[in-house]
Amino acid sequence: MDLEDCMSSAGEEEEEDYYCSDRDSLDDALENEESDPQWAPPKGSSSKVITKESLLAAQREDMRRVMELLSLREHHARTLLIHYRWDVEKIFAVLVEKGKDRLFTEAGVPILESHNSDSSVSTSTAMCDICMEDLPSNEMTKMDCGHCFCNNCWTEHFIVKINEGQSRRIRCMAHKCFAICDEAIIRDLVDKRHPDLAEKFDRFLLESYIEDNKMVKWCPSIPHCGNAIRVEEDEFCEVECSCGNQFCFSCLCEAHSPCSCVMWELWTKKCRDESETVNWITVHTKPCPKCHKPVEKNGGCNLVSCICGQAFCWLCGGATGRDHTWSNIAGHSCGRYKEDREKKSERAKRDLYRYMHYHNRYKAHTDSFKQESRLKETIRDKVAVLEGRDSQLRDFSWVTNGLYRLFRSRRALSYSYPFAYYMFGGELFNDEMTKEDLEIKQHLFEDQQQQLETNVEKLSKFIEEPFDNYSEDRIMEIRMQVINLSVITDTLCRKMYECIETDLLGSLQFGIHNIAPYHSKGIEKATELPISWAAKSCNAEKRHKLEDTTNGGTSESDRPSGSGSSDEIGFSSLKRARKDDGFGDSMFDLNLPADVIDRN
Amino acid sequence: MQASRARLFKEYKEVQREKVADPDIQLVCDDSNIFKWTALIKGPSETPYEGGVFQLAFSVPEQYPLQPPQVRFLTKIFHPNVHFKTGEICLDILKNAWSPAWTLQSVCRAIIALMAHPEPDSPLNCDSGNLLRSGDVRGFQSMAKMYTRLAAMPKKG
Repeated sequence: MDLEDCMSSAGEEEEEDYYCSDRDSLDDALENEESDPQWAPPKGSSSKVITKESLLAAQREDMRRVMELLSLREHHARTLLIHYRWDVEKIFAVLVEKGKDRLFTEAGVPILESHNSDSSVSTSTAMCDICMEDLPSNEMTKMDCGHCFCNNCWTEHFIVKINEGQSRRIRCMAHKCFAICDEAIIRDLVDKRHPDLAEKFDRFLLESYIEDNKMVKWCPSIPHCGNAIRVEEDEFCEVECSCGNQFCFSCLCEAHSPCSCVMWELWTKKCRDESETVNWITVHTKPCPKCHKPVEKNGGCNLVSCICGQAFCWLCGGATGRDHTWSNIAGHSCGRYKEDREKKSERAKRDLYRYMHYHNRYKAHTDSFKQESRLKETIRDKVAVLEGRDSQLRDFSWVTNGLYRLFRSRRALSYSYPFAYYMFGGELFNDEMTKEDLEIKQHLFEDQQQQLETNVEKLSKFIEEPFDNYSEDRIMEIRMQVINLSVITDTLCRKMYECIETDLLGSLQFGIHNIAPYHSKGIEKATELPISWAAKSCNAEKRHKLEDTTNGGTSESDRPSGSGSSDEIGFSSLKRARKDDGFGDSMFDLNLPADVIDRN
Repeated sequence: MQASRARLFKEYKEVQREKVADPDIQLVCDDSNIFKWTALIKGPSETPYEGGVFQLAFSVPEQYPLQPPQVRFLTKIFHPNVHFKTGEICLDILKNAWSPAWTLQSVCRAIIALMAHPEPDSPLNCDSGNLLRSGDVRGFQSMAKMYTRLAAMPKKG
């Protein structure tokens, strides 16, 4: 089956012009996309931004569940949750398996609550075993576990523990008593002597929800934005914090799909380990094949010419002729890793070549990505010029959508190279697959990667065109191309992710390689968590209302001229309808880069 | 800081009172520094340490009693949980199981108990631990007895 796939996809590659010339293909693609069962309708973001303000509200739900189930007081519920790392399901499981007593004792929650007899002895004195003073009972405090010491000693104990960073599990002072102290008592006593330390204690308790919880993590932004992100169900995802920082939730590095976290860690380490000079040279320059001077690429396509006049391919460094199109150089193809090199050179050299092959491509795409992000400015200017012109063309969302699609695919493409480096390197998966198997899969993957690469370059070419000087007909043509290519690259990206998830990583025995699934809208923006529950339901209502109005407000004619890529059919029409309602300015469109939204 | 001083003073008075009550332990406070103590403890009977007198040095932190005192043997002793060279003691209540309810006196008692019941599975003195773990109780006892005689008993003649 794999072979056949290879053949057919290779065939497609040959006919790549097919898409560009055929107008109907767009509609086909649109329909396909709509009927694609994989395509989930846009729903509320499942990840949440937790700010300093909403931290309490965020944990209230978990606390409530535990308090209700076990009829506990708040601080005992918190003690339990801290011990079981905020995993409510785990608490329920332990309750069923081991019973209430074990559940409590393991977490240090006292089983008996003895609040009796205290009042009767309030006049007498007792000795505190710590300072050995005889003190009146009103200067003594008895914990839930039944142990009684003087307030002074308790306070000292709490201060020492809080300063040791043990706020979340301050135990009773008595020997072999593992009960966790009542947080309210701690707060009261510490507050009398060190109000700032009591505040610190409170914050530590609250932040346990972030630090002792695998579904919540601090946003790794530098400088730190103060937010944390909570995800639902799947920790293998990429999110964007409200501060704009995008990251992989699982490893807290930059978003790196379709590379797995393990691969990405290896890759960044490898890139760092290479000596600085070698690194700089491989990263920034290529030797000219004729005069061997290092040449730096400062823009444009992959056909570079040295000052000596020699033209060469930026990707492989090989000398070429001067005839080229944007996406390929006549008679030259180097996207695939060639086996014959391997035979000639010994192992070490082969490994270096191999690394350079992938690193260069990875670097080339990240560099292009950086250069293209400068396009935002120029595109903005171009659109402004066109909008100023008196013409029939009104809607230029296809430009920004196309640009965004370009960013998105460029990203996926660049990270696909480190992935391929490790996937087909034979180091990580030696025991898992036979060589032949791997080779077939490599071809399959590289076919998809190459297709994507070709289309991304084309898209880049059209978006870089100075279309603001063109006639309307020509702009219309470019528009078609951009829309068309946007759809294609989106589909190809999705296919590549699917190929990686199911055909490559899915077949592995040990599931240590997980990747965040592909979202054509890009990395999910976590939504702000409402501070109170009432606010949340209110928001939900608002959204309902909005959707109602938008369904009515969408007109058919919007569709073909409106959206750049199929993935936002639902959303772009929504966006337009919102504009009519006067909501447009305040609403975010997931599909646009942040600063474009700002402009809107 | 004042709390630790006050508490140590209390303990000092307590020790004066109890001296007769516990003949195995003799706790002495340094004349000029209440945070430095020494103790003489008698080796428990029916152990290879019987008949020996062992000297302990206490160094009390300012956070005492919230933090445990540092204790080490000044007298050489062959015991799995005592470092042969430095005299450092591996005892849970002196580390993470410390409770402020313990006193210097009760620490001495705990150390005597440790001498009677060594725990060869967490040895600071590997040779001694290995003897016990391999079941060579006689070998261990004769070694321990020898060091007791050499270091912990008044020299005869």
